[in-house]
Amino acid sequence: MTKRRMFLRMVTASLLRRRSRMLIALLSIGIGATILAGLVTIYVDVPRQMGAQFRSYGANMLLLPQNGETLGSERLAEALRMIPEEALVGAAPYRYVRLDMTTRQQSFTAAGTDFSQITKTSPYFSVEGAYPSEPRQVLVGSGIADKIGVRVGSSMELTYQPTGSAGSQTSAESRAPGAVLSGKAEGFGGGLVYVTATLDGQSKIASVSVDASTQTPEYGGRVQEDEAFLNQLVGQSLPVALGDGVDALTGATVTSAAVVEALNQATAADAAARPRTLNFTVTGILTTGGEEEGYLFLSLQDMENLTGSDQLDVAELSVSANVDQLETYANAITESGGGVQARLVKRVAKSEASVLEKLTALVFLVTLVVLLLTMICVSTTMMAVVSERRREIGLRKALGASDGSIRAEFLGEGLFLGLLGGVMGAILGFVFAQVVSVNVFGSSITFQPLLLPATVIVSMIIAAASCLLPIKRAVAIDPAIVLKGE
Amino acid sequence: MSLLELKNVSKIYGDLKALDNVSLHVDQGEWVAIMGPSGSGKSTMMNIIGCMDKPTMGEVLLDGVDISRESSKRLTDIRRDKIGLIFQQFHMVNYLTAVENVMVSQYYHSLPDEEEALEALGRVGLRERARHLPSQLSGGEQQRVCVARALINHPELILADEPTGNLDEANENIVLDLFAQLHKEGTTLIVVTHDPEVAEAAQRTIVLEHGKVAREVINENFGK
Repeated sequence: MTKRRMFLRMVTASLLRRRSRMLIALLSIGIGATILAGLVTIYVDVPRQMGAQFRSYGANMLLLPQNGETLGSERLAEALRMIPEEALVGAAPYRYVRLDMTTRQQSFTAAGTDFSQITKTSPYFSVEGAYPSEPRQVLVGSGIADKIGVRVGSSMELTYQPTGSAGSQTSAESRAPGAVLSGKAEGFGGGLVYVTATLDGQSKIASVSVDASTQTPEYGGRVQEDEAFLNQLVGQSLPVALGDGVDALTGATVTSAAVVEALNQATAADAAARPRTLNFTVTGILTTGGEEEGYLFLSLQDMENLTGSDQLDVAELSVSANVDQLETYANAITESGGGVQARLVKRVAKSEASVLEKLTALVFLVTLVVLLLTMICVSTTMMAVVSERRREIGLRKALGASDGSIRAEFLGEGLFLGLLGGVMGAILGFVFAQVVSVNVFGSSITFQPLLLPATVIVSMIIAAASCLLPIKRAVAIDPAIVLKGE
Repeated sequence: MSLLELKNVSKIYGDLKALDNVSLHVDQGEWVAIMGPSGSGKSTMMNIIGCMDKPTMGEVLLDGVDISRESSKRLTDIRRDKIGLIFQQFHMVNYLTAVENVMVSQYYHSLPDEEEALEALGRVGLRERARHLPSQLSGGEQQRVCVARALINHPELILADEPTGNLDEANENIVLDLFAQLHKEGTTLIVVTHDPEVAEAAQRTIVLEHGKVAREVINENFGK
């Protein structure tokens, strides 16, 4: 038999046949290793977990149009492509306008947005009822809901007043009798043709006059006097089209087309400048504890229908990344020349970093304390073991054990304990971390394969370090104590 | 030829002279008993001969080496190589079996050899008890394991401290018979005892009193 086998036989026999005392030492190392492994697992997982937690506090990046630019859905999509897909939690576009609630003579700020994204960028939104899922549905901030007394299921008539419009109370579909439309279009040879039309009560043309003085009098110029041509326009609904109840004047087709175009442009301009009203159903009441409670939320499509424009004011982004990464993304977007400017919501991004930092420090501190406590506990136990085994140590020395042998034997026992405790700790630590993670963060964690050897090695180092003082005691024992049996 | 020689050895603890200018010699192969009342210096002498203590004054030559001047590390080596120890309390490592206890001695000396250890146990009549833990052995059996352990490395000198102090008569006789066998094989035996019967089994008895050799008695009946 080799010396090493005998050494292992003695060490294992000492641990296995002297169970109770060694169990305490094993338990202290095991518990220490468990907490250690658990904390490290959580520590490794915390940035991910915390990131997810912080995403629930709202957007951490804003996309805005650069000076003099507009923000459309295409530019937004282009900017979003600069953020890695897996990092982008959500991107909610917003268009803010004032909408009038004509029946109440009140106006509110309304936000057109994408509700599927809002749940990602603003998970703290609390909705009583449901988010709008179909056209003509509105989510009402609780502040507004309280003020005007709407509930889920109520209907709201909302009107968009374009800037500079007359503020007329009429609906978008019909105009008052006598309303005037005027427009212009390029005729033959680039000369402008001016058209003025009055409307009847059904938005049909009641009368029309044309100024074609820039056109050749023998050809295009004739349209302004040709009764037949002008009369066929009366009674037409706008917009009009050549060949559909309106025929071009022979020999003046280009000018005729200019007249029709001028009429249609005037109609479009008028439509854009006219207030539009849509009827909405309230699907939910929004509570946030913030200013959003004073807003109405509708879909982007409804917003476009109301305002006639698909421009956006801002997009709120929730990005899973640390401050440095966020800044990199933001700079890339701003400097890409896509007309979009990216800004960090510093409050969220920075507080995430500082909380992580504090948490890291805390975990580090707790780990240190646990290590220290484990060492004290193991050291105390081993000290007791040494004094319990004084005679045995004396006997071994009397039998010829050198100080080195005594050291090796106790260190061997310590390392063996560290090994067992480490394996136990790595397994229990993962379970511990899993329980903590599920209960605190509400998500499970993945096993880090490296944790097993790391925990075992650390445990063995701790156990060995804890044995140093007890070993010193053991080595100092006088072999003469075995004589005469004290 | 003398294996052990003490020349004017004194051991002083404060005011107490545990050994006071003692000189004696033990020949190779001799069987010597050391007797004396408590406090006569038996234990001190045993510690010094067993390389576990050093004298305050004087020389101790073991196999020609002066062990009174050696470092404790060297003393450990000498003890391991030359001396087999047997104690009154039949000290055993309590979590190791009988054969493992014998092997511990081999382990520190050279290489553990289970077969040889079993043979040694056979010699003391305990081969079939080899796998028992000390707690499963009687006092006599434990002391016989200790004898097996002491002789396993073929020491020059077997030093026994009250080897029969805790044994009944039957076991005492077994141990003394083992000593007689070892003596026949040429092993030097020094047995510290206060039991006259055990002392009479030896060739020569040295009586200590107050740290001095009071007298020496040659056992004329030895071997008869």
